[in-house]
Amino acid sequence: MLKVENLNVYYGNIHAIHDVSFEVKEGEIVSLIGANGAGKTTTMHTVSGLLRSRTGSVTFMGKNISHTEAHKIVNMGIAQVPEGRHVFLQMTVEENLQMGAYTTPKTLKEDLEKVYALFPRLLERRKQVAGTLSGGEQQMLAMGRAMMSRPKLILLDEPSMGLAPILVDQVFSIIKELHAAGITVLLVEQNAGKALAISDRAYVLETGRIVLAGTGAELAASPEIKKAYLGG
Amino acid sequence: MTLLIQTLIQGISLGSIYALIALGYTMVYGIAKMLNFAHGDIIMVGAYTIYSTIALAHFPGWLGVLSAVVFCGVLGVVIEFLAYKPLRGAPSLNVLITAIGVSYLLQNIALLIFEGKQKAMPLGDFDFPDLKVGNTGITVTGEVIFTITLTVVLMIALTLFINKTKMGKAMRAVSEDKDAARLMGINVNRTISVTFAIGSILAAFASLCYGMSYAYIKPTTGSMPGIKAFTAAVFGGIGSIPGAMLGGFVIGILEKLSSAYISTQFTDAIVFGVLIVMLVVRPTGLLGKKIREKV
Ligand SMILES: Nc1ncnc2c1ncn2[C@@H]1O[C@H](COP(=O)(O)OP(=O)(O)O)[C@@H](O)[C@H]1O
Ligand SMILES: [Mg+2]
Repeated sequence: MLKVENLNVYYGNIHAIHDVSFEVKEGEIVSLIGANGAGKTTTMHTVSGLLRSRTGSVTFMGKNISHTEAHKIVNMGIAQVPEGRHVFLQMTVEENLQMGAYTTPKTLKEDLEKVYALFPRLLERRKQVAGTLSGGEQQMLAMGRAMMSRPKLILLDEPSMGLAPILVDQVFSIIKELHAAGITVLLVEQNAGKALAISDRAYVLETGRIVLAGTGAELAASPEIKKAYLGG
Repeated sequence: MTLLIQTLIQGISLGSIYALIALGYTMVYGIAKMLNFAHGDIIMVGAYTIYSTIALAHFPGWLGVLSAVVFCGVLGVVIEFLAYKPLRGAPSLNVLITAIGVSYLLQNIALLIFEGKQKAMPLGDFDFPDLKVGNTGITVTGEVIFTITLTVVLMIALTLFINKTKMGKAMRAVSEDKDAARLMGINVNRTISVTFAIGSILAAFASLCYGMSYAYIKPTTGSMPGIKAFTAAVFGGIGSIPGAMLGGFVIGILEKLSSAYISTQFTDAIVFGVLIVMLVVRPTGLLGKKIREKV
């Protein structure tokens, strides 16, 4: 479904992503794990079209989207829940969800109901400005907003960051629900243990390079991974 | 008392014009994060468009206004496309200098076409009767009533557009978080074009009101109201739409009060002085605000 080949991304002269290649097949949950600054967000942004690669390509459903504008990529079926949530703080919960449906206005009503069914908290607060929500609620809103565009592939960048343990579990169960509903998932997580446990496959990024790849179970069992990312 | 009320009404009328212009500054700042210093000159272009349509081509007044609205709207979009869009992502100083360049360009084009001598605005079709309020001695002139009414109608229309329509909401989303807006599938370039069009259309209406009050135009006509309106936008909190409206009225009233009660010579000094005090006491302006993201 998504194929990234020999991607090189720069910030000015800083070479942030080196020859990164990976693949996400339809129906999979794939994780990218790696320390802070490894290049996970940069990779996600390049897939979404917010950043441009200098060389290499991103192919989605057979189409090269390396030069496609970000707003058109959303239309093709890739949604991203960005790191730090980036909900529209001065807009209401419902307006945020409406923005999520920007490319799919025809199914707005139906999808609002679906999102509210999945996140009853958001229904309670639909008229509230997003800036007044708690961190966990903002994360739910960011995920709900991404679902509104009916994505085929969803990119989740550190969805559990900064959340209390109980909310982290909730985020992971929602990821499983999204996946069960037929959405393919590319997940970036600092919580490597939990990410690997739900992943079909995973890649490990280190300073802009992919250094390891395997199934979720393989990586979770690997001594190097245990030492570097799973605390023991 | 009569003088005070008369002065306040005139202040609201002048403030309406400032507010219409300030909206263009603030919306462009909010969405494109740039100070479009050529915005004031759009009023001048609007005024010459009205002048040309009515006095030179002998069309009726309403058509003069319509052509100014259309021409300014298109001009705003074209300026953004040619001058500012290539600088997207460039340092803000580069954009600012470009905007000043565009301002001089517009003024000099006007000078070339219409020469420096001032022209009378042919607004006979907009000669509305004055209103005498009982036997209080208060008279509200027709152009004041027209200006305030038109401004209120435009403000309501703009507020509805921003809050209720899909494009309006997209503009708010872009002004808050450009990358997040792109991740929603919003075409940021298009929302910027629409913003320039709306700002310039409001400026075209401002040029009508300005022409009704001041009667004469020349190539530098846009500068002073442009600067005052910019002051109003900053005073109200640049980027804030209600801020620009409020700031416009405050600056207009302040200007009229100080020329009625203090001295016409010090008016500008007082207006800019108040701005400076405002920026020291409350740098974000009256209604400017920043909500922090929760972690
Ligand atoms: N806007 C930027 N300008 C310059 N360098 C950046 C920018 N964003 C990220 N980087 C650098 O690129 C590298 C990868 O960052 P990032 O993709 O954010 O990592 P991760 O998401 O894995 O923590 C880091 O070295 C970071 O310092
Ligand atoms: Mg990151």
